Amino acid sequence: MTKPNTGEVNPKDTAAHEIRSYATGFVISLILTIAAFAAVLSDLSPTLKILIICIAALLQVTTHLRNFLHLSFSGNQSREDLLLVLFSASLLSIMAGGTIWILSDLHGRMHGDQAAHAEPAEHSHNRAPED
Amino acid sequence: MSNTDNSLYPGLNLTGVQSEANEKAETNVFGFWVFLMSDLIIFGILFATYAAYLNPVGLAGGPGPQELFDIKSVAIQTGLLLLGGVAYGGVSLGVKYDSAAKKVMLWLAISAILGAGFVFFEVSDFIDQAHKGGIPQASGWLSSYWTLVGLHGLHVSVGILWIIAMITQIKTRGLDDTVKIRLSMLGVFWHFLDLIWVGIFSLVFLVPLS
Repeated sequence: MTKPNTGEVNPKDTAAHEIRSYATGFVISLILTIAAFAAVLSDLSPTLKILIICIAALLQVTTHLRNFLHLSFSGNQSREDLLLVLFSASLLSIMAGGTIWILSDLHGRMHGDQAAHAEPAEHSHNRAPED
Repeated sequence: MSNTDNSLYPGLNLTGVQSEANEKAETNVFGFWVFLMSDLIIFGILFATYAAYLNPVGLAGGPGPQELFDIKSVAIQTGLLLLGGVAYGGVSLGVKYDSAAKKVMLWLAISAILGAGFVFFEVSDFIDQAHKGGIPQASGWLSSYWTLVGLHGLHVSVGILWIIAMITQIKTRGLDDTVKIRLSMLGVFWHFLDLIWVGIFSLVFLVPLS
């Protein structure tokens, strides 16, 4: 670690400057939260609502990381913490994404289209006692 | 305030640039990030479990999101937690720019009260849902819901206890280096919980309601 994880402070930084950064984060978070709640209460199609909610959540998480957790996305501080977060996020996307993929696939095969799968399901059911 | 005093650590204003305390702060805060990332994995897997149960089979004939979720209460909880997170900014800046210990304790108390308000609304929601038949054993979906949201609520409660412990430490020890390091770790923890809540209100509450 050549530079501190929590970042180097520009000597020109003042309390007022940082208060502004917190205020900016708060206002952006507030707008994104209101947008997500407004989308749910609106008459848009469910797909569009979910899309708006997901985009708002992603933007808000980024805002929190930047303005509240002081994670710098530019090169002017140590990259260790950013690398740690990105590595964890990629692990998480593999594990969580994989879980959702496998289980929804399984769900589709077992319950998705009951009529289409009725026959093979019955078939295996009948054969089970013979085995 | 000289440049060297705060050329390190936005959350800290420790004495001497190359002091042991600074190195300790660097290692401790980074180590705490590693812990939080492992926590993130736990939350992420619980999110995936919740998503996998969000279908008629997972609901298993039990009460669903439309019957159980109160969007107004979720909005209030979101507001309280967001304000609580921003209030902690007062603590971080107070430590960095050498505010009086009393001021730092006041901001800590404000954060804790807002967090307690969040927990209050969450628990009353849980009680309300249990009365409507939304108990954890009613369905796979409800089990995952109680585990995920309950775990987050537990984290916030622990965070409040940590804040109370830090107020006591400031009272007894004053704002020394050790207390400052602990305050900056608590800050990362507190803001991290706010970040997890963004995922919860979006994916757990709003997506099923849309």
